Amino acid sequence: MTANPTEDDLRVIAEQVWSSYLDTDGSSPLLPVPPENGQIDVTASVSVTGAWRGHVLVSCSDAASRNAAAALLGIELDEVTDDDVADALGELANIIGGNVKSLLPEPCALSLPHVHVEGSSGRYPAATEVATLNGTWLDESVTVSVLESTADFAGVSTS
Amino acid sequence: MTPMLTMVIDDSRAMRLILKRIVAQLGFDVVEAGNGKEAMDYLEGALERGEGELPGLALVDWNMPEMNGLEFVTAVRAEPRLRNMTLMMVTTESEQSQIVRALAAGAHEYVIKPFTPDAIIDKLHLLGLVPNGVAA
Repeated sequence: MTANPTEDDLRVIAEQVWSSYLDTDGSSPLLPVPPENGQIDVTASVSVTGAWRGHVLVSCSDAASRNAAAALLGIELDEVTDDDVADALGELANIIGGNVKSLLPEPCALSLPHVHVEGSSGRYPAATEVATLNGTWLDESVTVSVLESTADFAGVSTS
Repeated sequence: MTPMLTMVIDDSRAMRLILKRIVAQLGFDVVEAGNGKEAMDYLEGALERGEGELPGLALVDWNMPEMNGLEFVTAVRAEPRLRNMTLMMVTTESEQSQIVRALAAGAHEYVIKPFTPDAIIDKLHLLGLVPNGVAA
């Protein structure tokens, strides 16, 4: 049986990402909150294949996605475009996903990021959530999730 | 000291900008590429124009479309005219096995994302590309 990443693992990874890129002065950290139905408008995901199969998702509100793009690109909020949001959220999913992958059995490979401007529910029907970090950043919802695939190599659900 | 031309290769525009800010602050000139193929196309053009335009340093992401970072490192090491280029992987691939693969292919240094500016500058110190005492 494989030990899946935990919420604590996601918190450590998220803290490193925020302190490196989104909260470099320590004034606006990602604050963990209890599970809630926060607003989710944008989801960036990377898929993991190999010895472990699943997805790592970064989901957030539209406002949070624009704040992230502005912070990463060093531009004003009113200058942020949809392409900026896709680039920034995709890179956050790539970084978080890569660090999650380092906790998984080898060998695994990471896909390029995919960004879609809608909630994440229903997009991964053959996968089950194994760890979630719910948070708020600048009073906006941000969620990091790890979904493990429940389909076998033929694409048939095993659960 | 002549500014070193540095190539920043990453499919994320945001990450290219972050890296560009760090090395530009050190006085390096920067050229960007969105993947390994774009970077090789630039280098082949530079070779045709003359070695004065060749980057001395490349910061290379691993997971990119068209040509990934490992393929890029391998391609650079296969070109004798690029033997003086220093290659630093800057990637989320953090498993020891991946680091060994990149170094075996010819990368000189390896930085794992997320990183701080100091982490990049420390590696440049180790490579002798930045004088001691320079910090972010």
